Amino acid sequence: MGILPTDAINALPYPAAAANLSVTPSEIECQVMNLFDQFRSPLLRYVLSFGMSVHDAEEVTQEVFLSLFRHLQLRKSRRNLRGWIFCVAHNLALKHRYASRRSRDMTASDWTIVERQFDPSPSPEEQVLLVQRQRRLLAVLHALPEEDQCCLRLRAEGLRYREIAAVLGISLGAVSISLAGSLARLARADGR
Amino acid sequence: MLTGGFHLTDQDLLLAADGELPTRRAAQVGAHLAACWDCRARMTEIEGTIADFARVHRQTLDPQLPPITGPRALLRAQLAELEAEPNSAPWWYFFRIPSAALAAACICVAFFIAAAGGKLLFRHFIPRGGISAVVPFERGTIPNRNLTPGATRAVTIGDVCSMAHEEVVRAVPTPLRQEIFQEYGIVNARADDYEIDYLIAPGLGGTEDIHNLWPESYTSPTWNAHVKDALEEHLHQMVCAGKVDLSTAQHDIAADWIAAYKKYFHTDRPLALSSDLLQFAGAS
Repeated sequence: MGILPTDAINALPYPAAAANLSVTPSEIECQVMNLFDQFRSPLLRYVLSFGMSVHDAEEVTQEVFLSLFRHLQLRKSRRNLRGWIFCVAHNLALKHRYASRRSRDMTASDWTIVERQFDPSPSPEEQVLLVQRQRRLLAVLHALPEEDQCCLRLRAEGLRYREIAAVLGISLGAVSISLAGSLARLARADGR
Repeated sequence: MLTGGFHLTDQDLLLAADGELPTRRAAQVGAHLAACWDCRARMTEIEGTIADFARVHRQTLDPQLPPITGPRALLRAQLAELEAEPNSAPWWYFFRIPSAALAAACICVAFFIAAAGGKLLFRHFIPRGGISAVVPFERGTIPNRNLTPGATRAVTIGDVCSMAHEEVVRAVPTPLRQEIFQEYGIVNARADDYEIDYLIAPGLGGTEDIHNLWPESYTSPTWNAHVKDALEEHLHQMVCAGKVDLSTAQHDIAADWIAAYKKYFHTDRPLALSSDLLQFAGAS
């Protein structure tokens, strides 16, 4: 499926080498900054989808990359760092949500944002249709169980099914079943 | 895994697209796709739905993303700080075991040694009043920095120095206390063993935030909650007297409250709570 940047993992500046004992702290810092540049936006989007404020999401993202620095400093595994980064972000986001006990009404918020997203190029009729479509898709998304939402959002960020399974701690089969069900619902909502 | 109409399931199509099918199955699916227009159309449809969803997902959230420059600079600064800290490989790194079989053997040996040793110890040491399920150890002297880095609100010196006494020493609500105990993994805590304390005291601008609260031991023999209370009071007075910046006081107490105590009381050990403190207050 070449429509998403799912192969980005292969472009990571880290080979899957188990341990590189000669890496200096400044090299690790450089590697972490490269990964930050590459994954900060996808990660921030994913964390924001848990309903936290932008400020809190930024904090979580910073924490993820500081943890990554420590992870690499301790010479732990470099295999699938993208999956590792999303996994840490997922756990921190859940912890943050539990701690802050804030459950934002994402549906209302997302819809407000959708209405602000008018692209100036289409005609007004096309804009209305676009917003209606986005609303339909978001309505389906928010009606899904949280795990299914996470699967979809991680897929939208380009993670492979195996990586999604690792982030959420579920089996590969469970990911494919979840995504197949969610995509069928989305397609139905879209009148396909 | 063909459906009743001899077509591929959506799960098969998804896994095939992601290269996750076993080789043999992938070949079967590939052959089927080459021959079946319906399944190819379905696969295109699924890909289209994912692409549409990814687009909506980004269009919805991208406008909220702040520019990367500030967070990038912040991360770089924090990494530089981490890098400056003395780092060494973890102790277990030097005892790494190269193979799983050897690891299993070591675990077995360790288990037998522990079992034999434990039996001997058990025979000679049974605490009075029965056997506790929890091994006691001294904790609660310093907070876990990951859980309790400290949190402040925007205040001026005027604000903190005009605070009512009730605000300075306000109690933490019970549900939040329980949450903090849970976070620190403390079960069956006795009320007189711990104080849920503010790392940065309200009198120094600290907030009632889970990141600023931690279970501090009353019973630690040297550095305990009573000692920290004295530091908080002393720092509050120094800030209000203009002897210390508020931000310095916040930083020092959050970074290492014991070091801050030594620094501001000019001592390596806690002053006895009555006479020494009075003497110190008189001298300063």
